[in-house]
Amino acid sequence: MLKFAPYIMKSLWRHRARTVLTVSGTAVALFVFAFIGAAERGLADMTRGQQAERTLIVFQANRFCPSTSRLPQDYEVTIRKVPGVADVLPMQVYVNNCRASLDLVLFHGLPAERLPAWRELRLLQGNRDEFDTRSDAALVGEAVARRRGLKPGQRFTIGDITVTVVGTFAAATPAEENVLYTHLEFLQRARGNRLNEATLFEVRLQDAAEPEQVARSIDELFREDRVPTDTRPKGVFQASVVGDLIELIGWANYLGYACLGLVLSLVATTAVMAVQDRVREHAVLQAIGFSSPRIFGMVLSEGILICLVGGMLGVGTALMVLWWSQLAVGTEGVTIALGPSWWLLFQGLAISLLIGVLAGITPAWRAATAEIVTALRAE
Amino acid sequence: MALVEVRKVTKTFKKGEHEITPLREVGLEVEQGDFVSLMGSSGSGKSTLLNLIAGIDRPTAGEVWVNGQDITKLSRTQLAHWRAANAGYVFQTHNLIPVLTAWENVEMPLLLLPLSAAERRKRVGIALEAVGLSDRADHYPRQLSGGQEQRVGIARAIVANPTVVVADEPTGDLDAETTEQILQLLVRLNRELKTTLLMVTHDPHAASVAHRRLRLEKGQLVEAMAC
Repeated sequence: MLKFAPYIMKSLWRHRARTVLTVSGTAVALFVFAFIGAAERGLADMTRGQQAERTLIVFQANRFCPSTSRLPQDYEVTIRKVPGVADVLPMQVYVNNCRASLDLVLFHGLPAERLPAWRELRLLQGNRDEFDTRSDAALVGEAVARRRGLKPGQRFTIGDITVTVVGTFAAATPAEENVLYTHLEFLQRARGNRLNEATLFEVRLQDAAEPEQVARSIDELFREDRVPTDTRPKGVFQASVVGDLIELIGWANYLGYACLGLVLSLVATTAVMAVQDRVREHAVLQAIGFSSPRIFGMVLSEGILICLVGGMLGVGTALMVLWWSQLAVGTEGVTIALGPSWWLLFQGLAISLLIGVLAGITPAWRAATAEIVTALRAE
Repeated sequence: MALVEVRKVTKTFKKGEHEITPLREVGLEVEQGDFVSLMGSSGSGKSTLLNLIAGIDRPTAGEVWVNGQDITKLSRTQLAHWRAANAGYVFQTHNLIPVLTAWENVEMPLLLLPLSAAERRKRVGIALEAVGLSDRADHYPRQLSGGQEQRVGIARAIVANPTVVVADEPTGDLDAETTEQILQLLVRLNRELKTTLLMVTHDPHAASVAHRRLRLEKGQLVEAMAC
């Protein structure tokens, strides 16, 4: 089929305005689809996986925004004794905006010496030791660092908190890269000298432990205590916090499918017009020896090529924008990272290919099965 | 056995509620190297007969043998492969691919054959030289005159060195001077390359350049009188 590539390309270029418009329409639709796909994937990353299922979050009952959850820090000792609990991490959370936002800045204050055991971070810039020794030090996730232009050595202020950036890091999950890690005590003091309070506890489970059962046991323990708790697996906790966003993303999915439908109809129209314009030309090709399967393949290739070029442009642009902007949509201290991924690229191109095939199949069939003599008489 | 043998071929069309039979048990033999012209009134079935010999149409009954093969028994795809190797078709007019240059148009049939790029280049060069258009190889059809377009069409028809070349009113749209040039080109190809040619024409003068002149009358072939 490669031998016929010049003919296929020149045929597409013959009606260049039509081809360019179709490719542009495809690109725009696939751009939107890729963006929605990024949000959906960010959501899936957040709610699935080992950490989402095997880590519990202990939060103050009936509270949503991190700034309203105030758990006594000594709860840690009690939680450690619950059967099935392997380790407990107290955490102070500060978020610049409790409402839905595309530029959420999220501080996690935790005991500095326990950071390596709890988070798989890869230092990109700066000095890890400085984080341990400097009380106002912050390790900044790559996404926030790029979005806010932060580099080691800089001072960064948001609200009434000022930190010194000592390093930037990449993490296993994109959402993690939207976090700034500080010392627990630093954040406690910064938020009004609440030295004995934590926003939440992360609870790591033993291998055999049943998450739901351990969660019930923890909540039971504190039901009548100073502050009652609400304990859930991390994935469930995050999903419940961003429930409204999940619903929005769900609706956006339909928008994505509508975009694909639009591309299908756009490319199919172009393919039908291309075949109608060339009834006689295809007949001539058949008369000089082109077989029906070959004509079918050539017409189909045109639809596929339009879709693939449009798909590459649209998905490629979306991925570049996602990479450059490091967008994260978040609410109440939980972020959904909208990051680029190879999966998005693969999915976008595979869908483009599929749409190209679906759009081209009927026109290609019509061109391939036309009666030569009848078609030669066509004007 | 003749190179082309048409045996008791009947072709029936449906036209609205009516059934038309332009060819009724027609027989024809064409020898290797022959130049045969077919004349007849409009709708007499001469183009239909040509299309059957070129393998782009199928008879309702009868057989068409070319070079010892009954092409009516071939499947649609087999027939396409057969056409690529054995039949050259010269159309009346406007049947070059407009987005391809003269060179690319002539090369198209060769892309279907197992030939190297070098062999294709050589054959296209020879074909364009044979029709006197080597210097127009990079021109697109819109940049060529009607006569030049037709010569490119002839080069495309002969480039694969087919068993038989059929021409359907090759001079039908041309002025007298260009018609003469095309006819002389066909004569030369037949004489020098021993190309077997079947040509449908309305024009008695065009028909006169052929070795054999046939007429289709009432669905039957008859030998035509010399002018």
